[in-house]
Amino acid sequence: MVRDAKSRLQKDLARMSPEENGAMVTTPASIETQLISHLLRRAGFGGTRDEIDRFSKLGYEATVEHLLNPPSVESMPQDIIRRYHVDQSDLRVQPATGANWIYRMVTTNAPLLEKIALLWHRVFATGQTKLIQGKVIVTQLEMFRRLGLGNYRDLLLALSRDPAMLMWLDNQDNHNGAINENFGREILELFSMGVGNYTEHDIYECSRAFTGWTIANTPYNTQKMRNNTARPYGYIAWQFKYDDSDHDHGEKTFLGKTGDLNGEEIVDIICEQRATARFIARHLYHHFVADEVPVPQWPHVPPKDPEAIELMADAYFSSGYSIGEMLRATFNSGFFKSEATRNARIKSPVEVVVGSLRLSGGYEWPTMDVYDASASCGYMGQGLLAPPSVEGWQGGEEWVSTGAMMQRVNYASRIIGDPSRPGVREIIDAVCRSGASRDAETLVDECLRHLGYLELGVETQREIVEFARGQVAQLPQGGVKQRDEAVERAVIAVLQLAVATREFQLA
Amino acid sequence: MTTQARSRLELKYLTTVGFTADFGGRGFHLPVDISIRNDGRIFVMSRSSPIATPGMRIGIADLKHKFHGEFGSFGTDPGQFTRPAAIAINGQNHLFVADDSLNRITEFDSKNNYVRHWGETGDKPGQLSGPSGLVFDRTGNLLVVDHLNHRVQMFTKDGRYISQIGGSGSRRGQFCFPWGIALGPDGRIYVADWRNDRVQRFAPDGEFIDMHGKSGSAEGQFNRPSDVAVGADGFIYVADWMNQRVQAFDSEWKYQTSLRGQATLSPWATEYLAANDDERRARESFKPVIEVDTVDPHEVSARIESYFWDPVAVEVDSEGRLYVLETNRHRFQVYQSSSS
Repeated sequence: MVRDAKSRLQKDLARMSPEENGAMVTTPASIETQLISHLLRRAGFGGTRDEIDRFSKLGYEATVEHLLNPPSVESMPQDIIRRYHVDQSDLRVQPATGANWIYRMVTTNAPLLEKIALLWHRVFATGQTKLIQGKVIVTQLEMFRRLGLGNYRDLLLALSRDPAMLMWLDNQDNHNGAINENFGREILELFSMGVGNYTEHDIYECSRAFTGWTIANTPYNTQKMRNNTARPYGYIAWQFKYDDSDHDHGEKTFLGKTGDLNGEEIVDIICEQRATARFIARHLYHHFVADEVPVPQWPHVPPKDPEAIELMADAYFSSGYSIGEMLRATFNSGFFKSEATRNARIKSPVEVVVGSLRLSGGYEWPTMDVYDASASCGYMGQGLLAPPSVEGWQGGEEWVSTGAMMQRVNYASRIIGDPSRPGVREIIDAVCRSGASRDAETLVDECLRHLGYLELGVETQREIVEFARGQVAQLPQGGVKQRDEAVERAVIAVLQLAVATREFQLA
Repeated sequence: MTTQARSRLELKYLTTVGFTADFGGRGFHLPVDISIRNDGRIFVMSRSSPIATPGMRIGIADLKHKFHGEFGSFGTDPGQFTRPAAIAINGQNHLFVADDSLNRITEFDSKNNYVRHWGETGDKPGQLSGPSGLVFDRTGNLLVVDHLNHRVQMFTKDGRYISQIGGSGSRRGQFCFPWGIALGPDGRIYVADWRNDRVQRFAPDGEFIDMHGKSGSAEGQFNRPSDVAVGADGFIYVADWMNQRVQAFDSEWKYQTSLRGQATLSPWATEYLAANDDERRARESFKPVIEVDTVDPHEVSARIESYFWDPVAVEVDSEGRLYVLETNRHRFQVYQSSSS
């Protein structure tokens, strides 16, 4: 039964692609506006009507540049957050850690930095389920923001020195003469080239090169982690330490290169590989362009768009391993802007939650609502800082299950249907002021514009207009331009139905 | 009369009291304020977290590391709190708790029994929005830092409004989300003007006297000062919260010294390690102070256990001992002041 239901849902979602659902019915908006809306959904968490209109005046390419190089990076200040939520200062465990990130994602004016951090959090999945303390993963996320759009070598090297990653993959147990291959294997399999591009011997040599890469005060910090104890004085955030006396200085041969290789040289060699460029390109494609098959299938299933992958891989090499340049090439490409790409990727739970909250507002000041938001991501299958395994979340159809779909729809409907939230209040007031509730089609169009120029399929559009017609029929004659409770209820009802559609589940 | 503190101040580390106790019992959890009763009992307000609400309570200890129990709990019923922010003890040894979410002040008697609560939400005179600091003046009236209204209000101990000082802004006498408050030995009022990165001083009648500090991390500069305390000798101590230190000044605001913290294991911590031999043995090679690759004070404090980590409140007792309460380490460090 459950499998049947899931299968139906998956087919249902697949039907949302333009090829099978006919052309999307767009709200009255220029193609530029539609593209900006698409870009903000992919490179961020979607835009409000005002944001999309503002960027439309700026132009598409200028918006890409703005996202890649934000003139300022601002979000709710940490001092404010820490004062009100004292548990978000030591960031020991959930829900504090996830909530802290939610604040950042909802209030940032540089959403691409959060989107790229989300990608690396998925690819370099590190979880507090094992590490116990969340603080070190939050610090890792900060590193993703700082380096995530930059040079991939810098990112991979920082990751190799990241205490959370080292402990996550047991590299504190990787000693000269007693090799632990966990990190050495994953840096090749999951973080750079993917299965099939190296040998078991390369894994062994790679692991030897990372001996001595550990954290300070290893015995005590490891014991605290294993005992899952914050006693006596809370956790001690970990600090990277290179212990040369524990490093294997012997000769190693890795991917055909021989020498007394240390971790830095290994990262250099990894980054030179075409396989690395393709693997990273495929991750970027999966995250920003279109749902791919789960990563474990990549060695056996070719990319959905091999030309796109090669274009991105070329950008990787021509820019000296720049992730930002790979994304610039992607966002300005035809495949990214194509109609087939738009509204065809299943939103992750975090995109559903954060996108709803950025529309609804209510995060101008600390709020306990942030814990509900973080927990909701988990209920939908994407608990922040708690990936299910070292492979992170696969995304795409993985997000679709009967329970998760109910959570997604209910969450968006609850948030967007709450007129006490300032963003929702503004939408209601704007729709009321516009007089759009005089007829069903105009009311629906106006609501969709305020939901980030949400595009609906023909069938959905017809159904929601039909629903709106029933709402409009109940409104008092002549009172539609004023703040009238009946009009407000009608607007809220249409907004809630719009975010309950299949289309709202897509980016 | 003004108490002068012109000689040089010295602070000597005495001890650390505390232990992580998320769900109650001997220790504290994310404490935010401390108050010392005239019999030496030390009251610590644990704010705790949304998932560890049993950790929200007032714990009682003394300097000999004896734990004297706890009272209060999470909730909205009388005697409960949802986001406790400050405590203060009056001349009758009644303890008052400010809740910055419920906007109310709760009174407990000297035996920790609930007496009453009062407070009304709003921004009119006598109403509260985010009470976050408490101190009794010399006449027994309660000064309440009403931080979201950017002011300090004076009430009788049973909640009758008397007067107010401040208002939103950065000019003299104005505040930006003030937090802690203290009374000097001469009755002058000191307010940690949190987001203006300064401390302001007022006469007992509320008239502005002077202020000190600006944003930064150099001597005499502050990054979100959360509390202030004044010793009987007039020395002023400021919890320089985001700089993760405590700075001391004489009564003329001349910089004296700064503390970064040097906690040792409390007997409660030692007992814990004795009962968990694997951790005790693992700790034998533990180096508390290590070289770190960051300059962010918050991050440095996260990595070095003996340093202050979110030193949120400071108090001075009648013996000149300075107490520094740290939220993220669930403890307070004690220093003996002396001047020469």
